[in-house]
Amino acid sequence: MLTFSHLILGLFQALLLLAAAPLVSGLSRMVRAKLHTRHGPGLLQDYRDIAKLLTRQDLTPPNSGFAFRLMPAVMLTTVLVIAMGIPMLTRFTPVAPIGDLITVIYLFALARFFFSLSGIDSGSSFSGIGGSRELTMGVLVEPVMLLSLFVAALLAGSTNLGAIGSAIADGHVRSATATVIAALSFAYAIYIELGKLPYDMAEAEQELQEGPLTEYSGPSLALIKWAMALKQTVVVAWFVGVFLPFGSAPEMTFFGLLFGLVAFAIKLVLIFAAVGVVENSVARVRFRLTPQHSWVGVGAASLAFVFYLVGL
Amino acid sequence: MIPLSLLIMSLLLSCGGAILCLLLKNREGDIRLGGSGVGIAAAVAGLASGLTAIGAGQPAVLDAAGPYPFAHFVLRLDPLAGLMIAVISLLSLVAWIYGFAYVREYAGRGVGAMGFFMNAFIASMMLVVAADNAFWFLIFFEMMSLASYFLVIFDQDDEAVGAGFLYFLVAHGGSVLIMAAFFLMADQAGSFDFAAFRAHPLPAPLDSVAFLLAFIGFGAKAGMIPLHIWLPRAHPAAPSHASALMSGVMIKIGVFGIVKVGIDLLGASAGPAMLGWGLLVLAFGAVSSVLGVVYALAEHDIKKLLAYHSVENIGIILLGVGTGMIGMALHQPVLAVLGLMAGLYHLLNHAVFKGLLFLGAGSTIFRMHTKDMEEMGGLARNMPWTALSFLVGALAISAIPPLNGFVSEWYTYQALFAAALDGTPLVKFAAPIAAVMLALTGALAVMCFVKAYGIMFAGAPRSHHAEEAREAPAAMVAGMAVLAVACVALGLLAPLVAPVMGRIAAATIGTAPVTLAVGATLLPGDAQQATLSTPLIAILLIAMACLPIALKAAFAAKRGGDRKVAAPWAAGYLPDHHMSASAGGFAQPIRMFFAPLYSMRQAIAGRWTGVAHGFERVVTLARRTEPLADRNVIAPIAGAVDASGKWLQVIQAGDFRIYCLYIVAALIALLALAV
Repeated sequence: MLTFSHLILGLFQALLLLAAAPLVSGLSRMVRAKLHTRHGPGLLQDYRDIAKLLTRQDLTPPNSGFAFRLMPAVMLTTVLVIAMGIPMLTRFTPVAPIGDLITVIYLFALARFFFSLSGIDSGSSFSGIGGSRELTMGVLVEPVMLLSLFVAALLAGSTNLGAIGSAIADGHVRSATATVIAALSFAYAIYIELGKLPYDMAEAEQELQEGPLTEYSGPSLALIKWAMALKQTVVVAWFVGVFLPFGSAPEMTFFGLLFGLVAFAIKLVLIFAAVGVVENSVARVRFRLTPQHSWVGVGAASLAFVFYLVGL
Repeated sequence: MIPLSLLIMSLLLSCGGAILCLLLKNREGDIRLGGSGVGIAAAVAGLASGLTAIGAGQPAVLDAAGPYPFAHFVLRLDPLAGLMIAVISLLSLVAWIYGFAYVREYAGRGVGAMGFFMNAFIASMMLVVAADNAFWFLIFFEMMSLASYFLVIFDQDDEAVGAGFLYFLVAHGGSVLIMAAFFLMADQAGSFDFAAFRAHPLPAPLDSVAFLLAFIGFGAKAGMIPLHIWLPRAHPAAPSHASALMSGVMIKIGVFGIVKVGIDLLGASAGPAMLGWGLLVLAFGAVSSVLGVVYALAEHDIKKLLAYHSVENIGIILLGVGTGMIGMALHQPVLAVLGLMAGLYHLLNHAVFKGLLFLGAGSTIFRMHTKDMEEMGGLARNMPWTALSFLVGALAISAIPPLNGFVSEWYTYQALFAAALDGTPLVKFAAPIAAVMLALTGALAVMCFVKAYGIMFAGAPRSHHAEEAREAPAAMVAGMAVLAVACVALGLLAPLVAPVMGRIAAATIGTAPVTLAVGATLLPGDAQQATLSTPLIAILLIAMACLPIALKAAFAAKRGGDRKVAAPWAAGYLPDHHMSASAGGFAQPIRMFFAPLYSMRQAIAGRWTGVAHGFERVVTLARRTEPLADRNVIAPIAGAVDASGKWLQVIQAGDFRIYCLYIVAALIALLALAV
């Protein structure tokens, strides 16, 4: 049952992630600089960028409406709410009624809806194409996410993310092979969702001027940059919470949470470092060819499903 | 008996409204006022009837002799019929409010006739769901099809008449199959009463035959793929408030029929074959949902786009109904209630948001006089209320939490999950695949409605008309507002609505109710499986929204200046509206990636046009053979009669003395005969 302390934990977790998100994106920039053998701007550059943008003037295209103005706030809000439902420091979901795998997928759709809509609303062709691509990637990725999580949920007997994570941490899953393959296909879907190379489609900087971000400036751009960094962190936390819950606190004790926090931070840094290496060693996939890539995810998730059915 | 008397009151009001619309003939202002007034009163009575029927534990039955000795006129209001009547009444209430202003679009083109057919359409739908006798069910089903046919062909142009013909064909093909299914059951029961059908179930192979006949027949009415072909043509042709009723309510009568036959009439006694029925419904549901939305994405005509989404949502409803039937077959009452409840909840939700979207589309068409989205654009500036209502509808149909569409889809997922958890191997295989199809549908629906809202209401105006559009009249805005509020309420108040849906499902199946909500939390029978709280999501979204607002406000003092308007970046060229996203371009990736599915549609459509052409040929042939019969049979007889008449004229000389002679001669002849 949801208690007050659970709600506080959820809030703490969301705000902690919000505070750490620019650090995580700074880490990605640092890894890129290292791979380019440059000095780079330093770990805290994204905080400085956000602070600077917040004091700049806001520009709006003449024909844009409320969708364009609302989007930065809607996006940040939605990702913050999702962050409250995902198990990070603990095995269980802090706010159970939003920690359901279906609810999380559909809450991401809320952010996606406004993100793409703002692209059309701005009237810029780059933004419009970016919006269309963002939604297309959603179409290609969401079924993979759902199937891989569904297999894990069937093994755990619950669609609650915390329950799935607990079952995996305790080794209470009937089929280890199916779990591993489901984890791999989910990881692949998550990687596409991160919007990094080679799947940097919607916000492609060189190709589409950052897609739906093209027309944003000043405080709106600051909010979106922050929201996108937060989204990347939350998406990885989602994977960690479900498939790599090792080290998180089974109960809500002070030391348990502290240990969970350290373990979570280590996992996050390791994953983002690995993502950084991948991102900087590949070229962008041609957009027309992405379905062929997403079929790999569909295939892997289906394989997990078959292994589950057979019971291996 | 309160629900029944309210229902009869509503029906009488509808009849009165229909007659009133005819009597007032050319006084269109009075028709609008009187028709809408009586219609609203009928709808309110119907809504009260439906809600009391849902609330009452026992079904209310009215058994009247009626004019035919073989078929009693029986009305039965069980909770399921109550739900349907409530849905019909809610939508007709809104349609009448909206229609008060909207029918001005049709001034001088028979507003009275439109009012008459609307009343007849609504009353016949109510009678279909309440009828408890197969004969009367079919009569009212036909009345419903006919009344809506006349609404489809109201525009009288080639497209409308063609669409009407196709609709007429499919509707009647369907009702022939339904009739056959009912005859099978009537033959076994020895009566046309549904009560007798329930008491004398069909033996094993025949019940599957009856179910299949009814499934295809009602499926054609519901517009499931591949029997959907009439839907995207017929619904857009009708006036928008009639489209809202057809798409929002009438196609649900098809689903109601499937539930009625599959669960109510045959389900209780069906053997292991029922698992097959459930899987069949599930499969048709999954295919309809994905293909419906894929085809919707390629449309530029807003009403066609919405019509294809009806196909999609019928698919989602069938996923729930199919899972419910699987649960009945496996003797898992919780699963059965969960599945059927998800289907019924989505039925209600779809009626509300699809009604809203059709009315929104109607308002833009009312001002723009085109259905082509590419000529709209930027309407949110001049039509803010229409835009806001349409946005609510778009979010709801895309199943965005915490609105109503999400709640029913969540229950559908949970039902599929429960089926996958402890079903037979086949169910374990099928249910997760259905869930993946539902996820694909959801993602595509988001894309489709970003496109629909974005191209119509956002960005720059794409035509002169769009620039000069004004907000829709107050009555139309009010109609949309009612449904927009209903979308939000059915989502946020889900902890109150879900148990009611669960009770209706349990009463229809005939099992004990399932716990679907505790406090403000929704759960699918078992809190271990999952929980959801839409009120909590709404509260958290509002609370968290304070953060970005506060952040912006905190830096406001240091900011370089206020919001400034600047033209979008167009790579150094002068930006114009041709550069912004278009309806075709936005959906182009999907059209490219799903190309095989589109070519499949061509194949299906080709088959159906083949059938329609076949019928047209029959009609032409009949027309050509008609004079043949005339010349060879009728004409000779007529000629002979004519000739004999001429010949008889000889004795009619005009002199009264000769006539007296005739009389005397006749008397003598008669006397001679008598002697």
